[in-house]
Amino acid sequence: MTETEGKDCPIETIESLTKEAEALKKKLEDERQKLNDITLATVADRLDIINYMNIKPRRTLKGHQAKVLCSDWSPDKRHIVSSSQDGKMIIWDAFTTNKEHAVTMPTTWVMACAYAPSGNLVACGGLDNKVTVYPLSLDEDVTLKKKTVGTHTSYMSCCIFPNSDQQILTGSGDSTCALWDVESGQLLQSFHGHSADVMSIDLAPSETGNTFVSGSCDKMVLIWDMRSGQCVQSFEGHESDVNSVKFHPSGDAVATGSDDATCRLFDLRADKEVAVYSKESIIFGVNSVDFSVSGRLLFAGYNDYTVNVWDTLKCVRVCLLYGHENRVSCLQVSPDGTALSTGSWDYTLRVWA
Amino acid sequence: MEGLVREMQDTEHGGVPVRSQKLFLTSIPAAFMGYDLIEWLMERLGIEESEALNLANQLCQYGYFFPVSDSKNLVVKDDSSLYRFQSPYYWPWQNRPPDNVEYAIYLAKRTLRNKQRHGLEDYELEALSNLRKNLANKWDFITMQAEEQVKLSKVLKKGDKIISDSQERAYWRVHRPPPGMVTSLEQCPVPTRSWNGSRTRKRTIEDCRRDVELLKNSLSRTRVKVSQALEGMVQHVETYAEYDPLITPTQPSNPWVSEDTTYWQLNSALVEIPTEKRVRRWALSMEELVSDPTGLQEFTNYLRKEYSHENIRFWMAVNDLRRSAQSQIQRKVNEIFEEFLAPGAPCEINIDGKTMEKVHQEMKAPSRFTFDAAQEHVYTLLLKKDCYPRFIRSEYYKNLLATGIQPSQKKRFFGFGQTKKKTSTSSAPNQQLLQQQPSQGATVTCGALSKRRGSDRSLSGSAHELAVSGVKDSKVPHSHSQSNLSDIPYRGDLACLPKTSPIAAPVTSPVKKPSIAIVAGASTSEEVCPWESGNEPRSRKNSAQLDSGSSSSDISVAVAEVSERVQRVCTLTQQHTVDGSRKLSTSTMDPPRRASVSVPITHSTTTGDSSKRKVSSFEDNSSAATSTSSSVFVIPSDTDNKAEECTSTSKTVVKNHGLAKACSVTGANAPIISVSSVADDLPVDSKVEEEAEATCSQQEPLAPLAEPDSESPASELPPSEPITEVEVDTEAKSNDVCPWEDEETCKVDTPFVKTYATLGYL
Repeated sequence: MTETEGKDCPIETIESLTKEAEALKKKLEDERQKLNDITLATVADRLDIINYMNIKPRRTLKGHQAKVLCSDWSPDKRHIVSSSQDGKMIIWDAFTTNKEHAVTMPTTWVMACAYAPSGNLVACGGLDNKVTVYPLSLDEDVTLKKKTVGTHTSYMSCCIFPNSDQQILTGSGDSTCALWDVESGQLLQSFHGHSADVMSIDLAPSETGNTFVSGSCDKMVLIWDMRSGQCVQSFEGHESDVNSVKFHPSGDAVATGSDDATCRLFDLRADKEVAVYSKESIIFGVNSVDFSVSGRLLFAGYNDYTVNVWDTLKCVRVCLLYGHENRVSCLQVSPDGTALSTGSWDYTLRVWA
Repeated sequence: MEGLVREMQDTEHGGVPVRSQKLFLTSIPAAFMGYDLIEWLMERLGIEESEALNLANQLCQYGYFFPVSDSKNLVVKDDSSLYRFQSPYYWPWQNRPPDNVEYAIYLAKRTLRNKQRHGLEDYELEALSNLRKNLANKWDFITMQAEEQVKLSKVLKKGDKIISDSQERAYWRVHRPPPGMVTSLEQCPVPTRSWNGSRTRKRTIEDCRRDVELLKNSLSRTRVKVSQALEGMVQHVETYAEYDPLITPTQPSNPWVSEDTTYWQLNSALVEIPTEKRVRRWALSMEELVSDPTGLQEFTNYLRKEYSHENIRFWMAVNDLRRSAQSQIQRKVNEIFEEFLAPGAPCEINIDGKTMEKVHQEMKAPSRFTFDAAQEHVYTLLLKKDCYPRFIRSEYYKNLLATGIQPSQKKRFFGFGQTKKKTSTSSAPNQQLLQQQPSQGATVTCGALSKRRGSDRSLSGSAHELAVSGVKDSKVPHSHSQSNLSDIPYRGDLACLPKTSPIAAPVTSPVKKPSIAIVAGASTSEEVCPWESGNEPRSRKNSAQLDSGSSSSDISVAVAEVSERVQRVCTLTQQHTVDGSRKLSTSTMDPPRRASVSVPITHSTTTGDSSKRKVSSFEDNSSAATSTSSSVFVIPSDTDNKAEECTSTSKTVVKNHGLAKACSVTGANAPIISVSSVADDLPVDSKVEEEAEATCSQQEPLAPLAEPDSESPASELPPSEPITEVEVDTEAKSNDVCPWEDEETCKVDTPFVKTYATLGYL
């Protein structure tokens, strides 16, 4: 959906359909507007301001020889897997800053990596268009048991295990998302709907949840039903590529970070955008966003080397974290919420708490 | 984003504050000073200096302006150094791909000029030679151009020359950065992302249809008022703020800040005793409860007691099914159907006819979603609306809440529960205790060890670690069995203990069985102090003991999990590697050792110990280890103490048992202790009391012996422990014959001794 490119479309029906879509969109907007009775900042008025945050860099993980592109926390709350531009994937004990495994991928730009819920498996992929799974074991070379699970027709930009070691969900530059069976490599479900590269996906927090959200270079944010493969909800509002999406811990909203230098919050129940986190002084794109476990804080990593911490309810910035010497490419709050990890193009990862 | 930058630049150009011309030695038109820029940014955007500086640097890196005098670095300084805007033609947003020919000309030009000022850097020389190779056919043209430009530049005024030089340099500095430096302009090599145009793929008719469909659907979607949605969100955030470590500081401390992993140990996925906060969280919603493995386990236990756990089991089975590998689906679907849904199934769940019908229909084409309808039904109607509220209101839950660990308030945490039993517990030790550690009250072991660095932490640590052992085990089979064992009986215990313990003594033997072990644990911790309190030096002795204790406990660890441990050894600290070998040697001695009362305890410490190591190989590890093990070693002494103090041992047992549970430290110990004891004592059953008495009396003579000898190596460290050990053991040999005879044949005796002997030599 999205942009009206009616004139580009050669076939008559496409044009008519696009027109229809336009009309519907308008109606939808009206419908949404009718229920728009209050702003988030007003509701949050009664809350206390968070005026002091004592978040400091606690660990620096050095070892990558190139830009860190993606990282993910292990469910054990202290290990991190990270991948970098030079094709390396490293598993860290972030607490001691030791490297436990280093895997060299046969590709550069490993753009995505993820820990499985059991903590015994990691997946990664990138420009090789594939998602590869590595079982972790201490006594042998992890590359021996690697397994290519799925292949896209373009680069793989993001991957995530949907509460199971047996499945993996990927997003790709071919503008689709796909759900794979790890064991057999079978494509269980594919998700079509974006019209440009999918940059980020995130699962709904509920244990039994069957939905996930995806953000794409077509500026759209789509909510999907994993079971049916259908898109169930869509949000637009960003003026540029959506680089990152994240479910609010309540599961009722998603936050997005975009190249247009804003983060936004979309509420699923109200079916509309409810907040924009931006500031005049922030003119660089957002690469990654994540919530604190309560959902009160939104961390966002920017191209200007900083991490901004937003108060999601009051829509104001709480503080600014300096430390990295290049773009902050990825960022994630640890599973128990005790720490924040950031990865950057300056070849390092940092843990903040 | 680039648009935003440009807009900002434009406003600046359009006459906003900064546009000042400063004079240097030579006049430089249209330049500005660093601090002016920073100030302007601060004022214009209402930001702090640090942010303004960062922003200015960013813009500089992108090449929007450049330092006039410093051509090497693109850094903005907050001082009077001069900067100049790059002419918009060179702005990166123009996306003018830098041309190699131009670069070559630029480099060639510089070679033609003054070496000192325009000398090329290494990387530039390299680039130049590469370019010469690649552009060989154009090279004449390039050199000509360069010469031309040099000539031209000579005509310029000095000021202009500086400007054009630095402008050019800055441009190439941005577009051809020195190696190792990262440029902000570097593009992702991803095909679609790097060319800016035509990024969206051609839309097909199918896409359009899908769009329309989606829009139609979303039109008919039910939405709530924004106010309502937002209110919900605010409420959610408020409720959970308490559980957000980045908003409300964690108790006892955030591991990342304090380097102390206690918090993680307390809150690992499966624990014996969850923290009070965690239990409280279960009451927030059913989802909270079932998403926490411990919560789910407690809930299941509760339902099992009510004979209604088939629902939760069904729910879990379906969840598992949904996440299974494709190849397993068929089999699992059938299994679930057979177990829960088929007529007359062993655990038939109660669902309405309609849902049942649906299931039957789905069964024709089984998939991972076959039972979704039934699961939904079970979840919302049975579990959520019925079982869950009952669970939250139940005594069972209240008990969990009451026994929950409160890491923040140590005092209350230790005092709690003891209030009831304190008076009845070993009174004599307590007096002494109080003399020594008036403030510490019940934290006895802690008190005794307080001179050791971090002993306080280690004590609590050990407790938690003990608790953790169960958790960690989910991965590591070794103590799994133990934790399983401990789990059920112990819970049962716990539930009835508060009431039973005062009366329990003669009544239920099952309760007591574990209790005896607990007693040992409890009593040790309790009575270490009195022992110690006599002489000052003994605290040191104690530590020596501890060390030896740790080694002994290590041995027993080995018993169960040699194989795993050996694997792990590599990660363990030096001390532990040593243990590894010991373990191996002693692993065979397991059964005999169980015979004596002290053994179960050793076991328990061990488990604590081992888990701890797995959890962390940190400094407090060793101290924690020692603290736990201390209890092991003092046993003989305090048991006999007890014998002296109390007329009837059995009573003490009970009291102590209450005590054990009372201080949750020991409480945490308890389950694991009890496991082994239960396991071991099964045949002994009703003898528990006697046994206790027996051991006590038997060990009486041991104590005096033990004391002197442990004193002697007071300052000795692990390397020398063997001596202590051996001595103790010989005593043990001589004195402890009886307890084993109680339960097992004398044969047992020899291996037992052997165990210790080996220990000693190692």
